[in-house]
Amino acid sequence: MEKLKNSFKSYDKNIISLLGIAVSIVIIMTIINPKFLSGNNISSMAFQFPEFGILCFGMMICLISGGIDLSLVGTANLSGIVAAAIIVGTGKTPGSIAIGLIAALAVGALCGLFNGYLIGQLHIPAMLVTLSGLQLYTGLGMVITKGPAITGLPESIQGIGNGSILGVIPYSLIIFALLAVGMNFILKYTIYGKQLSFMGFNESASRYAGINNLKVVMITYMLSGILAAIAGIIIISHYGSAKSDYGTSYTLLTLLIVVLGGVAPSGGKGKISGVVLAVVILQFISSAFNILRFNSFVKTIVWGLLLIIIMVVKSIIQAHPIKFKEKKL
Amino acid sequence: MRSIFSKKNLTKNEMFVVYIIIALSVVISLANSAFLSLSTVFGTSRSMLITMIFALCEMAIIVSGGIDVSFPAIASFSLYFTVTAMNKAHIDNLIFAFVLAGVLGLLWGTINAVLIGKFKIPALIATLGTSSVANGATLVYSQGIEISNIPSSLDAVSQKFLFSVTNSMGGKSSLTVLVILPIVLCFFVHWVLKHTMLGRKIYAIGGDANAARITGINVVRTQFIVYMAAGLLTGIAGITNVILMRNANPSNLMGAEMMVIAAVVIGGTRITGGHGTVVGTVLGVLLITLVFNNLIMLGVPNYWQSFAVGAIIVLGTAITSLRAKRIALSAKI
Repeated sequence: MEKLKNSFKSYDKNIISLLGIAVSIVIIMTIINPKFLSGNNISSMAFQFPEFGILCFGMMICLISGGIDLSLVGTANLSGIVAAAIIVGTGKTPGSIAIGLIAALAVGALCGLFNGYLIGQLHIPAMLVTLSGLQLYTGLGMVITKGPAITGLPESIQGIGNGSILGVIPYSLIIFALLAVGMNFILKYTIYGKQLSFMGFNESASRYAGINNLKVVMITYMLSGILAAIAGIIIISHYGSAKSDYGTSYTLLTLLIVVLGGVAPSGGKGKISGVVLAVVILQFISSAFNILRFNSFVKTIVWGLLLIIIMVVKSIIQAHPIKFKEKKL
Repeated sequence: MRSIFSKKNLTKNEMFVVYIIIALSVVISLANSAFLSLSTVFGTSRSMLITMIFALCEMAIIVSGGIDVSFPAIASFSLYFTVTAMNKAHIDNLIFAFVLAGVLGLLWGTINAVLIGKFKIPALIATLGTSSVANGATLVYSQGIEISNIPSSLDAVSQKFLFSVTNSMGGKSSLTVLVILPIVLCFFVHWVLKHTMLGRKIYAIGGDANAARITGINVVRTQFIVYMAAGLLTGIAGITNVILMRNANPSNLMGAEMMVIAAVVIGGTRITGGHGTVVGTVLGVLLITLVFNNLIMLGVPNYWQSFAVGAIIVLGTAITSLRAKRIALSAKI
């Protein structure tokens, strides 16, 4: 009971501090440049964050499971490329679009299952599996496209990433919101969600408690793969083309967001609300940089610095240092 | 001789890599008769050079139970700022170049060491962060433009050769003097790991950090030494790359981490720490370099390269982990 209270308190604190950061960024930016709160900027932000926001959910469940998924961007691009290749190759009919989208989800699920099998069955560290997975899936994407981007996607596909309801709410934002609600439900109210966080807290204990760890790991990485595929579809519709090196900065960005959102890198803990807030904060920062006309390379530095600072602060705040799983990371 | 060809030695992990290298060489030489020549040896050693230095650092770090993905960024940072400083201050001195690049690398290595050793941040997350900062800083400063007029003292070294041969076609191929560097480093790292207390400590903290701490090993200090030494060598590798390529490119080393990790893992270094040898790493680097340099010769288009590297790591780790599992199971009986 004591623990429950504590975790409730720290969760509240985390959310409150995230809200504080978000509000202060908005206030500071509005003072520096009122354009920040203009309808134009807000709507462009709403179009930008769903694609990496969805990737963050994938990273989040893998981190909760005690692992990590660095292959998200590779999976997303590969799924996007497969979808684009099928749609462009089979005549852009509504039927071929449906097949393409389903194939993309299937590819994402397969990539995830492959990761999950290597991690859960062969006990290869998640970090290594997904790092080489990133290489593998990016490479496969390159093999399919042979280098140049696949272009000529039909209007209906491009509408997913660029269209909106009444010109106000982007479709991709709705997808993001639905997924957030869905993931929240899965993590909070399903047996799988409970098993996931048990396993993340203590792998051996969860095995002795009768949880099939392999199954949980496989489901986790498969879910993560499917989420990556959804993000991949949004990415290709956003760009209007598919290529294996889109969104390469997202790997670091998703990790940063998820850690900022209060998910413990050692596993077991994480709330969707925290991650969603962190996504919004990072989008604010990114937009602020664009408005202030910072070089895009500066963003790379700042993302790296932020990741390091957050980790250092977390390590200092915790009475005892982060107990990271040395065998896992 | 008996001991070298004993069954134990012939079935070692490293020997499998040797078999694969021999098989691959046979296949390549069947596809291209020019493969079996001194110029291939020279060319391969040249392409192995930088990877070898990186792989030695990575191997020591993985043995100590960590991982490093920041070395390409650190090397790029060190090489770019060293060459810029030399050009701006008109210092044209080879020793200065190596010292400055080494010091810059050492600084980044120290940052990694502080984050990992002191703040206990998971090594992967910490080095991803430093990689991003170092790479971003290099790109902001350089705007992605390479420096092609490198100081003449550096350029002069690129024209120094150990051996030169002229083949029947009249083409000349030479072995650069820089290969001495990785060779010396290999012997040195081997000596440190196998014959010094520091080396034993590195294996110990990688095998089980807690047990190592209880036996009285200063885990944090050992981690500091490993990451700082790796940073120093990374900086030196960066400036070596400048000499080899005869330009200072801010981004062409980026992405090398996958190839290096692949080489280290194939060489039998266990990614979970505590196991790994210099001999295995050399063989791993040789195999990866052979695969990379000859994919095209074997008729594999170069857009297969990333996929090939990924597949090699997955296969390499899967095989090692299956073997480890079998050994663990057999020991119980």
